Amino acid sequence: MVELVPTLLRQELARMAESDQRMDGRARFEAREITLETDCLYNAEGSAKVTMGKTIVYAGVKFEIRTPWPDRPAEGSLMCGAELRPVAHRKYEPGPPSPESIELGRVVDRGIRESGCIDMASLCIVPGEKVWGVMIDIHVLSDGGNIFDACGLAAIAALRTAIVPAERFDVGEDYTLKVKGTPIMASFTRVGGRYIYDPSEEEELGGDERIHITLGDEGHLHSLQKGLRGVFTPAEFTEIFDVAQLRCAELRKLVANQEGN
Amino acid sequence: MGGYGDVQLLREDGLRLDGRKIDEMRPVTIEAGILPAADGSAIVTQGLNVAIAAVYGPMEAHPRKIQRQDRAVIDVRYNMAPFSTSDRIRPGYNRRSREISKVTAEALESVVLVERFPRSKIRVEIEILAAEAGTRCAGITAASVALADAGIPMRDFIVGVASGKVEDTVVLDLDKAEDNYGQADLPVGILPNTGEIAFLQMDGDLSPDEYNLAMEYNFKAAAEIHEVMVDALKRRYEGGEN
Repeated sequence: MVELVPTLLRQELARMAESDQRMDGRARFEAREITLETDCLYNAEGSAKVTMGKTIVYAGVKFEIRTPWPDRPAEGSLMCGAELRPVAHRKYEPGPPSPESIELGRVVDRGIRESGCIDMASLCIVPGEKVWGVMIDIHVLSDGGNIFDACGLAAIAALRTAIVPAERFDVGEDYTLKVKGTPIMASFTRVGGRYIYDPSEEEELGGDERIHITLGDEGHLHSLQKGLRGVFTPAEFTEIFDVAQLRCAELRKLVANQEGN
Repeated sequence: MGGYGDVQLLREDGLRLDGRKIDEMRPVTIEAGILPAADGSAIVTQGLNVAIAAVYGPMEAHPRKIQRQDRAVIDVRYNMAPFSTSDRIRPGYNRRSREISKVTAEALESVVLVERFPRSKIRVEIEILAAEAGTRCAGITAASVALADAGIPMRDFIVGVASGKVEDTVVLDLDKAEDNYGQADLPVGILPNTGEIAFLQMDGDLSPDEYNLAMEYNFKAAAEIHEVMVDALKRRYEGGEN
C-alpha cells in the first residue's frame, strides 16, 4: 500500500533539500533545543529526563543483588532496556517488546557497555556469590523524532548520578557508582537524499536510513548501527563522523555542567 | 490494634509521621498538555507520586471485536515504570495493573460521552514514574485532565482520592508506610460536580462509621483536587497558544 502522506512529504523534503533547507528552519547539522534534568525520579537510584523538541524521555537506574555468571564470578552486570510504550505515540501498540524497542535498547546498551565506563569488577560484592546487577530502564514518553540520541543521553546521565543502595541490601554503606567517561550518541537520518542531524518526527517519517554513532571521551567509536532500508558511501560517513565528534563533545559538556563539574 | 504489630504511624501529638493532620492530604500539583505527541496529556504529582496520562483518539477501534456499534470503548493501560518503586518492577503487564486498568476504564466510560463516537476507541495511557501509595488515584485524576485536554466531551471529571485506617484512626490519603502497615484503604473516583462515584475499591477492615468518615474525607479532598484540575486546564488554555 502506498502511504499518501509520506509520498507527499518525501517530495517536499526532497524539494527543500535542493536548497539545503529543513522544515523547521534548522541548518543541516543543527540540533533542536535540548534540556537535561537529573535526579528527577524519587524511587530510582539514578535518573534523568531529556527533552529534544517534541521528544521526552526518562531513564531510571535500579540495582539488584544477583549471583554472578559462572564464567565471570567476580563481575557484576549492566543491562539497558528501552520501552516504546503506547503512551509515546499513536503509532505504538501495546504488546511484547517490538523489534524497534529492542534495537533501541541494545544500541544504547552497547554504547555504554563498550565504552568501558563501568568497571564490572567494581560491581562484585562476594566473588562467586553476590554481585550488583545495574539496570537502566529507558521510558519514552513522547516520540517527536530522534529518540535514539535522547535515550542515549538520558541513560548515561542517569547512570552518572546513580547511588548504589548498599544500605538497603545490608551490604555496607551507600556510595556513588563509579562511572569513568560519558559515551554519547549522535544520530543521522537521510532526508531528501542527504544526511541531517537530529531528525524531527516529520523528517523520520519522510526519510530513509539512519546511522547511530556512539563516541567516548577520547573521540573513540564504541558503537555503530545502521537502521532501516538504504545505503551510504564512505565519504558520507566521514562527513557525519566529523559532525558527531563536535556534537558529542558539546553534549558531554552538557552532562558535566548538569553534574556541576 | 494496628495492622502489623509495632510500626507506629501516629505520633504522640496526634499528627502523622510526615507531620500531616489526619484529614490532610499530600500536596497535589497538576499540569495539562505536557506530552507533545499525544492528543491530550497531564502530569499529576501527589506527595512523591508522579503519574502521567496520555490520551489518543477517538480513533478506529482495533481489533474489530472490541468495537461497539453504539459507543466508543475506552482502552486504559495503567503501567508502573520499572524504576518507579524501591525494588525494580519487571516491565510488562501484571495482574495488578490489568485489574486497575479495567476498573479505571469502566470508571472513565461512565463520564465520557462515549455514545458520541460509535465504533471508535479512545486510548488512555497511564504511566507511573514514581510510586509512593495512591498511584491508581493519581492516575485517574491525570486521565481525567488528559481527556479534557484532548477535547473529549465528558459530563464530569473523575477525581481519584483515597482514605484509610491506621492505628484504628481514619486518615485521608495514605502514604507508603500507612499503606503498608495500615488497616484499610478506600480508593474512590468521585465526580466533583454531581457527587457521584465512578470508581470504588477497598481492602482491609472498616466499620460502617469508619467508612462514612473515610468517605467524608474523600469528598473533601476531591473538592480540593478538583480546583487544582480546573486551574491546570485554565492555565493550559488561557495562554492562547493552542
